Amino acid sequence: MPEPLPEAVLADLRRIVGVDAVIDDPGRLLAYESDGLTAYRRPPSAVVLPADTAQTARVVAVLAGAGVPIVPRGAGTGLSGGALAPPEGVIVGTARMNRILQLDAPNRRAVVQPGVVNQHLSDAARPYGLYYAPDPSSQTACTIGGNVAENSGGPHCLKYGVTSRYVTGVTVVRSDASVVALGGMGREPGGYDLVGLFVGSEGCFGIATEIEVRLSPLPQGVRTLLALFNRIEDAGHAVSSIVADGLLPAALEIVDGETIRAVEASAYAAGYPTDVDAALVIEFDGVDAALDAQAERADVLCRQAGARDVRRARDPVARQRLWQGRKKAFGAMGRIASDLLVQDATVPRSRLPEVLGRIREIARHYDLRVANVFHAGDGNLHPNILFDRTNEDEVARVESASKAIMRVCVDAGGTITGEHGVGLDKRAYMSLVHGPEELRTQAAVKAVFDPTGLMNPGKVVP
Amino acid sequence: MSGGVAQELRRMLADDQVIDGLAAEPWAVCDRVPQAVAFPGSESELAGVLERASAEGWTVAPAGRATWLFAGHPPRGIDVVVSLKRLERVLEYEPADLTVTVEAGVGLDVLAARVREHRQWLPLDPAGSPRGTLGATLGTASWGPLEAGFGRPRDQVLGARIVTGDGRVLALGGRVVKNVAGFDVLRAQVGAWGTLGVLTSATVRLHPLPEADRTLLFTAPAKEELVSLARALACAPVPVAALELMAPGERDTGATVSVLAARLLGTRDEIEGLHRALATTVPGAQPRLLEGEASAALFRNMAAVEDGAQFVVRLSALPDRLGWLFEQADRLAGLSHEAVGFGARVTAHVAAGTVRVIVAVLERSPGWVERTITRLRRVREELAADGGTLVITRAPPELVSDVGAWGIDPGTDPLIRGLKQHFDPAGILCPGRMEVV
Repeated sequence: MPEPLPEAVLADLRRIVGVDAVIDDPGRLLAYESDGLTAYRRPPSAVVLPADTAQTARVVAVLAGAGVPIVPRGAGTGLSGGALAPPEGVIVGTARMNRILQLDAPNRRAVVQPGVVNQHLSDAARPYGLYYAPDPSSQTACTIGGNVAENSGGPHCLKYGVTSRYVTGVTVVRSDASVVALGGMGREPGGYDLVGLFVGSEGCFGIATEIEVRLSPLPQGVRTLLALFNRIEDAGHAVSSIVADGLLPAALEIVDGETIRAVEASAYAAGYPTDVDAALVIEFDGVDAALDAQAERADVLCRQAGARDVRRARDPVARQRLWQGRKKAFGAMGRIASDLLVQDATVPRSRLPEVLGRIREIARHYDLRVANVFHAGDGNLHPNILFDRTNEDEVARVESASKAIMRVCVDAGGTITGEHGVGLDKRAYMSLVHGPEELRTQAAVKAVFDPTGLMNPGKVVP
Repeated sequence: MSGGVAQELRRMLADDQVIDGLAAEPWAVCDRVPQAVAFPGSESELAGVLERASAEGWTVAPAGRATWLFAGHPPRGIDVVVSLKRLERVLEYEPADLTVTVEAGVGLDVLAARVREHRQWLPLDPAGSPRGTLGATLGTASWGPLEAGFGRPRDQVLGARIVTGDGRVLALGGRVVKNVAGFDVLRAQVGAWGTLGVLTSATVRLHPLPEADRTLLFTAPAKEELVSLARALACAPVPVAALELMAPGERDTGATVSVLAARLLGTRDEIEGLHRALATTVPGAQPRLLEGEASAALFRNMAAVEDGAQFVVRLSALPDRLGWLFEQADRLAGLSHEAVGFGARVTAHVAAGTVRVIVAVLERSPGWVERTITRLRRVREELAADGGTLVITRAPPELVSDVGAWGIDPGTDPLIRGLKQHFDPAGILCPGRMEVV
């Protein structure tokens, strides 16, 4: 149960942001009890919704003055329990900070408030022939502030890189209520790369209240292919051979048979055959004149790797349909199991076939259904474990299997999370990839940014 | 006393791993000649040296092959330079992963030759000698024209091992392209100029080697005439690999030609498509074309533009302020009235909005230092008012010490000091080089 805030603190907060922007009604707080990883649930003692940097700094001053833990939160689509507050903590939500402050087309940049939805930024940039490249699967809901916190990826990061490549400046409210402006396009970094350090800090360093990002020109053309395989390992080999051949697709995504059957049985049916073991979605974008040759080469490589069929989208509608099987995977899986643990880990892409085989063995060993849908080009796996949370024995097996999968990925030279972050969920796995000295460094760097220790405490560092 | 440090180091390392006296002079850091230069042969030897240095209070500067030791803000003093040039192994190269892990002392040229066998490359082209090491390139976050198409060192590095000032070894980041397992501590090391630790190895992402290379070369008598063309190309709806505008020393000879070079890299089809798109963007412009090796050679020459120069200053602002940046550059170029000497080359990384003023030989008349200091401060203030920066890469150390190479924003002081305290508690790594620490 959340611990109520002292009335004086609530009154101060209401004075700063207005009565409507402070939520302490237990019923309404339930909306903030979990993020996208619903296995963790606990409501905060209150939610505050400041409108700008100045209000955020004043809110933080009040909370820090009262010794209250502060948890920044965007749209709550995160998948690591990172936006959950401790019972005595307050969530500072960015919902009211949702304005695009500048869209500067000649410099290909935008300055936004953290609550701007990822897709809305790309929509606003489109009339100028520009877009915001990082495209997490939740991009129609997730916010730029959340993306900065998580250093979010997405299907097209293979060619274009993750969020940190696109964030050029950030204004941060630290836990001592100081406001510091880091970086800025047009400025050479003087001193350390503090922007790079802040991106991916999971709300533990401070609250980003203004974010400057780089925009990219829309690609001239796109070609999308769907290669179908009877063995998922062959799909993994196809990925390796495409990359080794010198091709650089915008996206290389694998959807396994389990997922395909779930999608095809749902309202999102994309027309994938249900008897395949894996489908590989391949997309090339860029200069139109080069794309047909690239698509043709990928087609040949997939067939050499054992694809039984390779389909090409001839028009935007067909393209959308090919992508549907990938993009609606999570939604569809919700229909076939009451609970879903979305896992996230990265391995070197040359180790994909082997690791996929190991994951299959682990699923068999623990008698669990595991559906794989993932960014194969980056080696970023998402083994999704289907289960029923009311079945205690199954929940225990899910935990054991998760641990085993993490171990396999780390042993293959990979890591415990590629894009979802550590949050609450993966703190226990941090020691798989970090030694004691590295963990001390993680804590020390947090302390540099967060002098009071009140900023999203208990996350990331075990 | 100078014999002392070298002698102590010789007790820890083999005789041929330590030099001092005259032999140490080429290893001066911003004119500060160290008492000794050490060449550790392994990470653990380096850790031993740093642990000892922290205990004894010896100040230390990391180095690679001594190709760029004059650059940046002068440290207060340097007792020991540690060169990593003996750490030059390729540790792991898996072409299918498009990543390579090498020791910090590997030269960019050696790395390029190695990965070229698999038709791959690392698209970093910092100014200076291609013999420069990967460790130094990452440590100084140096980038060149290819930044327009491929990003900066921070975008290419996936992981690194470092030794802290007090000899702790840290493995930061990893070997995979997507990794959010904890705070991205590695970022602080890239561009820290050796003040937060010494890189011993790094994993970088590689790219497929482009099949074709073409540069579109536009010329005009004065750089101002190329500004709008440059900006149009920067705003073209297709990406270019590099976009450089170079003006030679206009006061040197009187008759000059300025050059705008747009480099395209990719498959043959891609290059034709890119070229067509650019031609539509700037109709009527008639560029000369450099193909393949000729295009690469032009950019190799550009990378040498700072070589031997006595004065290099970088002015940055939002990219669409290019014309205004040139005006600011001219204020520095016109500092002296001498007909010969302060004729400066001015060159722009157009897409980034960074203009360099490069002077080969300074003519230092009486009062020159004071006048230059005043001028640099004024230009820095004007740039800062518009969200830009002035960074001194190279100048007489007394001048840089006074103005500050970076002009660090006081707002970030506490963060910089906090990081320094953790990574170098005894404060021995290049003290003063980051101005505030």
